Amino acid sequence: MSSKTSFIGAVEIGTSKVTVLIGEYTGREIVIIGCGECSSRGVIKGSVVDYRAATECTHSALEIAERDANERIDYVYLAQTGGHLEGFYNEASLNVKAADNMIEISDIRTVCDLAKAKELPLGRMVVHNIRRPFRVDGRLVPTSPENLVGQKLEVGYWTVHGQEQRLADNIHVIRGFNLEVRELVLSSLASGHMVTSMEERQNGVLAIDIGAGTTDYVLYRNGAPHTTGVVAVGGGHFTNDISIGLRLTEGQAEKLKLRYGRATVQQRDKGEKVWLDGNFSIGDRQFSRHAIESITAARAWELLEVVKKRLGQSFSPETCAGGVVLTGGGAKLPALAECASHVFGTSARLGEAPSWVNENLRDPGFHSALGILYYGVSVQSDRSAATRRKGGFLHNVARLFAST
Amino acid sequence: MSNDTHILPETRSWRDIPQQVRPRAMSGEGRRRMAMGAMRAAIGAAVIAGVSWGAWQVAAVLRDNPDAMPEAAKSDRVRSLVLATDGVLDKEWLARTLSIAPESTLMGLDLNQLRLKVLADSQVSAAAIVRNFPDTLTVRISERSPVARLMAQSDGAAPRMLLVSRDGVAFAGTGFDAAMVATLPWIDGIKISRVGGSLAPIEGMRAVSDLLASAKLEAENLYRNWQVISLARLAPDGEIEVHTRDGMKIIFGTKEDYLRQIARLDLLVDASNDPTRPLREVNLALGAQVPVSYGKAAPELGGPPAAALGASPSLPQISLPSNSNPHIDIHREL
Repeated sequence: MSSKTSFIGAVEIGTSKVTVLIGEYTGREIVIIGCGECSSRGVIKGSVVDYRAATECTHSALEIAERDANERIDYVYLAQTGGHLEGFYNEASLNVKAADNMIEISDIRTVCDLAKAKELPLGRMVVHNIRRPFRVDGRLVPTSPENLVGQKLEVGYWTVHGQEQRLADNIHVIRGFNLEVRELVLSSLASGHMVTSMEERQNGVLAIDIGAGTTDYVLYRNGAPHTTGVVAVGGGHFTNDISIGLRLTEGQAEKLKLRYGRATVQQRDKGEKVWLDGNFSIGDRQFSRHAIESITAARAWELLEVVKKRLGQSFSPETCAGGVVLTGGGAKLPALAECASHVFGTSARLGEAPSWVNENLRDPGFHSALGILYYGVSVQSDRSAATRRKGGFLHNVARLFAST
Repeated sequence: MSNDTHILPETRSWRDIPQQVRPRAMSGEGRRRMAMGAMRAAIGAAVIAGVSWGAWQVAAVLRDNPDAMPEAAKSDRVRSLVLATDGVLDKEWLARTLSIAPESTLMGLDLNQLRLKVLADSQVSAAAIVRNFPDTLTVRISERSPVARLMAQSDGAAPRMLLVSRDGVAFAGTGFDAAMVATLPWIDGIKISRVGGSLAPIEGMRAVSDLLASAKLEAENLYRNWQVISLARLAPDGEIEVHTRDGMKIIFGTKEDYLRQIARLDLLVDASNDPTRPLREVNLALGAQVPVSYGKAAPELGGPPAAALGASPSLPQISLPSNSNPHIDIHREL
């Protein structure tokens, strides 16, 4: 085993379950070697509300994953979701300082710093700074503009920020297992990275991850995340609606949702009934299938409408050639793609993990955890490369002269 | 435009959140992992310390026991001697003193023994010898500086001059300029004993050195005329007697500042500038009261340096103790 090999844990503390994947990262590739799942407790809409309960279930999942992998986790990438996460766009521009108008690395660094610098309200902390492509004299530059010639350099950042206490709670749950949180990864970015291809992201695609308590979405344009967001509504609300509408317990409502729920109303015969259990047990009852479908379809339609409304002018079918990709446990609701297609006015499909992903991990419920690993590794590699570049010998010499 | 020209608002990142949690907020597994981590760190530190200690021990064994060195290292002969000194001794003296056989190898040398050889010359106060591979032996020495001289005779042999350093050590004075040596005053009235194979340091030389240094610095015209310094009354009375070339005796007290005494002497010498009534004795050891006696011009005691080296009869001559009678008191009235 190489000394550079590290074992990374991807942890998603969700509303319904805690998922842990362990990846063996050699510096060049990552291999999934362990998986652990545990029913979630003490978490509502992605936020920890009962520290002890959340700690117990998260640590159980971590232990199961470590046993499965037969290795100890070195550090963790932690998924972040919840209604407290918000985003805003900020851009900056500068005139290229070189006489020959050739853009230097210092220009790029300055404009990036300017675009990222935005004072946040008290108690808010940056989770992600997502850079949109550079523009040189209005011309789109998908990669680095270094050494290009132009007069004006522009860049924009989509900054995701969250509430400090809630971020700290999640981190402390992991630290309670004596593990370091190396990266926080937005759930939407993680799952979006997993279920969309590079080509789709280039052409524009909207990825929606419907979890139990929250729905995360990310809109890609020009190959980069353009807008992200979280709606504090998830599959649990579908269950809750059925529970209230049909006067059932949560468990019974969940059972009916999984069996007969749909995102569009298919059953035209309002008189068709379905059994709650279907095993002739005491208390078994019949319900109108049309009613169940109506409840879930209304909620699905509403949820997608909320996402569309949140996206506002950022989304238009013309700039989203890749369509809508649905993932997460809630996306398993039948006909959800059809519903999304109607709401967004573009093609929609259920997201699928890449073909190289193991059969056991192809369930939409694992897309987010898988994405955390792969997205986290790519983010960390980029950061390491930037640090290496920034800390080079010439840079240090230049800084020495600059300081004198 | 540069970064320095912008004052950017500070945005707080999630990385600013401290990740430390109290042990009681940890689960049992977390605490166990923390303990294991601490144990691993302790074991790692212990292993590193052990390896370092082992390496140090091996190095020490190799350093102290040349036989333990590899044959390849043994085979290099000493081809070069390097002397680093703060004095006048030269490379010839070093070669003569060490007398290393031509076939000696660098690793075959016993550095401790060589160092003792170097230190056997009392002119050397400190010495360090190191091997510089592949074939160089470097000797760093610190030498004593002479402040006075004495004429010594041992067991009927011809009298020879020895130089005396500030710390009272008498040494042969190899390599010093004869003109410089001729300016040094002679020491008299001392008790020399032999310790082991060498002479014991002369007691009281520190006080004499201070007096001579003050005189040389502040009144060099007077110092040039001083020929003999007698320490006979130093121990019992705290007085140093100085005999000048023109026959005057000056008594200095060790309890009072030398500068003040020299200033008084200078004043007296200037005030009684009468060749027919020269000063015979000045006692500066009594403070502000300075008894002075006058007399006729005295015959000159000192001659040129060559005469001094040739054992002039008017110079103090000290018999060195033999091994059978190691303690001899020497006191000679001029």
